[in-house]
Amino acid sequence: MKQIERNLWTAALAAVALGMIGCGGGDTATKAPEGTGTETPAAAAGARPTPTAEGNKVAGDTIKIGIIGSLSGDQKPWGEDSVDGAKIAVEEFNAAGGVDGKKVELLVGDSASKAEQAKTAAEKLMSDGVIGIVGEVASGHTIQIAKAAFAKGVPVVAVGATRTDLTSEGTHVFRVCYTDAFQGPVMAKFAYEELGLRNVALMTDNKQPYSQGLSKSFNDYFTKLGGKIVGEAFYESGQTQFSGQLTELKAKNPDGLFLSGYFTEVGPIAQQAKAAGLNVKYLGGDGWDSPQLLVSGGEAILGSYFCNHFNNKESRPEVAAFLSKWKAAKNGKEPGTTMGALGYDATKMLLEALKTSKAMDSKALTAAIESVENFNGVSGSITLKGQGGNPPKDALVVEVRPESEGFQVFKKRYAFFKE
Amino acid sequence: MTLPLHLVAGLEMATLPQQVANGILLGSIYALIALGYTMVYGVLKLINFAHGEVFMLGAYSALFASWWLGYTPNNALSGSSPLNLFLMLGFSMFACSVVGVVIERFAYRPMRSQPRIASLITAIGLSLLLQYGGQLFLPSAPAPNIDSKVNPYQGNVEIPLKPKDGAFVAKAEESAKLATVSKEAFDTYIKTSGRDPFNLDNEGLALRNASQEKEREAKALLDKASDSGLSISLPKGQLIMFFTTLVLMAILRYIVLYTRRGRAMRAVSHDFDSAALMGINVNSIVTFTFILGSALAGAGAMMNATFLSGTKIDTFFGMLPGVKAFVAAVLGGIGNIPGAVLGGLLMGVAETLVVWAGYDAYRDAVAFVILIVVLLFRPGGLLGSAKVEKV
Repeated sequence: MKQIERNLWTAALAAVALGMIGCGGGDTATKAPEGTGTETPAAAAGARPTPTAEGNKVAGDTIKIGIIGSLSGDQKPWGEDSVDGAKIAVEEFNAAGGVDGKKVELLVGDSASKAEQAKTAAEKLMSDGVIGIVGEVASGHTIQIAKAAFAKGVPVVAVGATRTDLTSEGTHVFRVCYTDAFQGPVMAKFAYEELGLRNVALMTDNKQPYSQGLSKSFNDYFTKLGGKIVGEAFYESGQTQFSGQLTELKAKNPDGLFLSGYFTEVGPIAQQAKAAGLNVKYLGGDGWDSPQLLVSGGEAILGSYFCNHFNNKESRPEVAAFLSKWKAAKNGKEPGTTMGALGYDATKMLLEALKTSKAMDSKALTAAIESVENFNGVSGSITLKGQGGNPPKDALVVEVRPESEGFQVFKKRYAFFKE
Repeated sequence: MTLPLHLVAGLEMATLPQQVANGILLGSIYALIALGYTMVYGVLKLINFAHGEVFMLGAYSALFASWWLGYTPNNALSGSSPLNLFLMLGFSMFACSVVGVVIERFAYRPMRSQPRIASLITAIGLSLLLQYGGQLFLPSAPAPNIDSKVNPYQGNVEIPLKPKDGAFVAKAEESAKLATVSKEAFDTYIKTSGRDPFNLDNEGLALRNASQEKEREAKALLDKASDSGLSISLPKGQLIMFFTTLVLMAILRYIVLYTRRGRAMRAVSHDFDSAALMGINVNSIVTFTFILGSALAGAGAMMNATFLSGTKIDTFFGMLPGVKAFVAAVLGGIGNIPGAVLGGLLMGVAETLVVWAGYDAYRDAVAFVILIVVLLFRPGGLLGSAKVEKV
């Protein structure tokens, strides 16, 4: 009896420890402040602390710039695209002569789809002497990068991190994408006005600050329009089985399902929702943006809508120019996700700021990025001056179609508006 | 995080039968894995923590089999047949048996004469090795999944518990007809005018709004009709999963109770050393145990990855199910075969009931709570006998 008991306790402790290892991935991410998802950029700007550290200075003939992306793990499609976009921007910049006769060297950090790895990567890059960091795509990762960079006084230009309160980490944080305070309302407006939905249920990834913020901003605006959020269910990244949550949501009789998480879970959720008889419209944010969604979502995900930053098929000259550069570098392949373009935009904007920077150090670079106006990005015009790090940008709603039709088909453009 | 306070107020009784059914279907997978834990414990008194990773490799085997059969991502065949499922199941069970035998032969057997804690640490080490080392040669980023087209059993089986109100149903059907008419009017307008449905003029907007209005009315009536009845809807694939599990368990029971090897296995489990003295080839029995346990894990993995559509597979695929199945084995009484099955089903139901009660975020935590409660109050498990063990 005693022996069995002791064996089992040992084993149980080991089991709990194993479980802990598995859960470690998101611990730091969930500690992000909650409930500030709909803060307006102006309010966020007021609360932004300024880093006091001196930052890095350029030593020698090369200017070191860092990019952080997930080169392994679930978010590999985004990490690879954003890093490739950054590489193209740097090559282009160096080919054009660099700045002050100095060339730029791009150092790459791998965040491995984990928040704590993103932080480690940022610290490594800064100790290697980068004067600015580009990245990341996921908000939970970027918050950690921003915290690490705050201590050192190095500017951060986020690629696709849309969580609204991200830029309140400090005056050193910028982004080239829209925020969830805009993305959520856009999808709410689209659902309410274009699709005629009135009773929407939410499904939120509790492990991702991005998903929590997006669900909240969708919820607030959809309710403001007169719609009703009939229920919200939660899951955690990495879960594979959603029938319990879906059964609860189905009982609430929604006519739409807003899935604010990442494509990695959205695909299985859509398939299992359809299997559970929840035959409604599925909607989501830019976290859906990977053709992998078609593999994990099967036929269930076709005909769903999500919000994105730009579309390969747009007729603006910047898009065509970017695509031809990308194809030249990638054997004729188009970028699978929009993070290629955003990575390119973020890097190029930082490099252009170098030209106007008064000195080759982090502090001057931060000031130069802060004063960027009407930068002609692939994803649209970017103005950061007086915006608190959040550029006002357009958002596109796209429909999920089979790979043969180009995965994401443009449906409607929304110009920037404030709720 | 604060606990939601709607626990008592917001319980949705109507979804309870469906949630219990979901839990039983889910639990059948835990039961299959738990059998592996419990049999190995019964024979070697070892908690094989690498068992979850055998499960993970089983899912990968099924994935590779499905690719080999032609269901590759983005380019899958459209139809399927039960034969494909059999091939995948067989391959997965076979591959897992091989993995199980290799693990036993090279990781556990050299440790057998050492103190038990050495084997336990070996098991944990092996588990981590497979989780992280597996990333080197298994496709895991982005995580692949088995194409749902390989499963010929699509759709649901509806089990009515209470019939729908006929008057509501008639109303809903009538309203659905009206909705179809106005939807057609809008579609014809789009076709004839050639306008973008997301950029309409006033006429188009009026038609669209009318159509959506009718659609909402129809949906509301349909919801009312379906709320007036009560039914359980079970995906066909998952039903097949459940019955396959039952068949496998019946086969296992036959092997353990009615064959010579099964008898030898029980003898080894009863007393390892005496069994060896009585002329039983203990090593071969241990190997046989690993073959059975791993094959069941392989079957569970294949069915999990195939019938729960879109389930993504990575090298941590076996971790949570493995831990939950371990708790299931302890709950049922470790070393006890019917106990593992009961424990697995209870774990599945417990998990979905936590979601039903509104504590979605605590779905995975409930396993540990159950583990602690069982160890505190009934360390022998539900069906296990708390007997004194010879040391």
